[in-house]
Amino acid sequence: MKIGFYTFMLLISTGLTAYGQALDLKFLDRLASKASETANVSLDGSLLQMAAKFLSKDDPDEAKVKQLIVGLKGIYVKSFEFDADGAYSESDVTAVREHLRAPDWSRIVDVHSRKQGENTEIYIRTGGKGFGGLVIISTEPRQLTVVSIVGKIDLDQLSDLGGNLGVPKLELEKTKPTKKDD
Amino acid sequence: MQQGTIDHVQEGLGTAAEGGIPDFAEIVRAHQGMIFSLAYHFLRDRGLAEEMAQEVFLELHRHLGSLESSAHLVFWLRKVASRKCIDQNRRRSFWPKFRLDEIPEPEAKTRETDTLLSGALGKLVASLPEKPRMVVVLRYQEDLDPAEISELLDMPVATVKSHLRRSLDILRDKLARTVGEIAL
Amino acid sequence: MSYLEEDLKAALRRVEAPPDFTARVLERLAAPEAPKRNWWAELALLLRPPRLQWVALSVIAGTVIPIAGIHEREQRRMEGEMAKQQLVYAVRLAGSKLHHVQKKVFEISQTDRHL
Repeated sequence: MKIGFYTFMLLISTGLTAYGQALDLKFLDRLASKASETANVSLDGSLLQMAAKFLSKDDPDEAKVKQLIVGLKGIYVKSFEFDADGAYSESDVTAVREHLRAPDWSRIVDVHSRKQGENTEIYIRTGGKGFGGLVIISTEPRQLTVVSIVGKIDLDQLSDLGGNLGVPKLELEKTKPTKKDD
Repeated sequence: MQQGTIDHVQEGLGTAAEGGIPDFAEIVRAHQGMIFSLAYHFLRDRGLAEEMAQEVFLELHRHLGSLESSAHLVFWLRKVASRKCIDQNRRRSFWPKFRLDEIPEPEAKTRETDTLLSGALGKLVASLPEKPRMVVVLRYQEDLDPAEISELLDMPVATVKSHLRRSLDILRDKLARTVGEIAL
Repeated sequence: MSYLEEDLKAALRRVEAPPDFTARVLERLAAPEAPKRNWWAELALLLRPPRLQWVALSVIAGTVIPIAGIHEREQRRMEGEMAKQQLVYAVRLAGSKLHHVQKKVFEISQTDRHL
C-alpha cells in the first residue's frame, strides 16, 4: 500500500505495543550453508533482560539501546550475505511474507530500487490493544535480512539509532588546508 | 615522494635486509599518507581508516626484512592495504554503522577544486561494490594503470578495465542526480 | 582524460594521516603482547560479529559452557556480554534499515512534490 511521507512519519512516531509470538524463521536456516556470512539473533524476554543489564549508560549508543528496549519482548534477526547473485530465491522471501498475511499484519512501506535491486518492506502488527510488532524484510542481490521485533518500541528512537535524528539532508563539507603527502 | 626520502627509505630497507634496525619510523612517515588515504577513500571512515593503516604498518614491520627495494615496499604496502580494506569492508557491511553526518573531509579547498563536488564524488565512490571501488581508488588516487592494478589485486587486466568502465558509468549517472540535490 | 576522471583525481587526492599517526604505530609496536586468553574467552571472541556464523545464544549457554564446567559467575558474565552484543547488533541493523526507508520515502515525497 502506498503511503505519504508525513503519514509514514506519523506512524513511526507512534509506539508499538506487542502481543503475540515472534515469527518462526527457522526455515531460512538452510540458506546458511550457501552464505559467506550469517547472523542469527534470537533474544527473547529473559535474554533481553540479561543483555540490558550489560548495557553501559556511559556509552551513548548503549544507553539509547537500553532505553529503546524497555518494552520489548523479543528481537530476532536472520541475515545472510552471499558471494554471488541468485543464491537465495524469491520463494524464500515469499515464505516470510506468508507469515505476514494474517489480517492483523499490515505492510506500511515497500521501498524498491530497481537499479540496485534493493527492496525493503516494513510490516506492523496491530493487536487488540494497539500495534503488535514489527518486521523488516530487506533484500539485495547478495543479501537477505529479516528482523522481527516483538514488543513495545519507538520507531523514531530505533531509526535514530540507525542514523540521524529527523529528516536526512546533504551537508556542506567543511574543509581545512592540507598538503599532499608526497 | 621527495628523492631524499626515497633514498632514506632505500637505505632503511637495505639495513633491514642486512639484519640491522631500519629507521622504521621514517618509512611510516614516508608512506602514511598513501596508506591512510587509500583506506579513507575506500572506507569513508577516518577511525577505521586509521586503524587499517596502523595494521598495515604493523604487518610491514613483521615483513620488513623480506623487502628488497623502495618499489617493492610501495607495491607491498598497496597490496596489503587493498586486501585489508576489502576484508574490513566485508566485516563492516555486516555490522551496520549507518550515519549520514560524517567527519569533515580533510581536503584542501583550492580554486581548482569544487569542494561540494569532491565530497559528493568521494561518497559515491564509497557506494561502489568493493572490488570496483578499490580499482577506482587505485586508479585515481595512485594514478596506477590497469596492468599495475591487475597485479596488485590479482585480477585479470580485462576485469580491471571492465570495472573502471562500469564504475565511471555508474558514477556519472549517480553524480548527475546528486548534483541536482546539492543545487537545491 | 574526461572531466569526470579529472574530478575523480581531485576527489581522491591523498590526504594527510592524523598528526601523531607514526607515534601511535610505534606505540603499538612497543606494547607488550596481549596475554593469552582462556579458551572460553576465545570462544566468546569467535562468536562476536563479524567473524563467524553464530549459533543461537541459548544453545551456547545451554550446552558448551556447562559442559566446560566454567564457574557460574563467569558463565553468566559471558552469556550477558554475548547477549548484549547480539542485541546491539540487531537494534542497529533494524535501525539502519528503518532509517534507509525513511530517507527513501522522503526522497520520493520530494520528487512527487516537484511533479
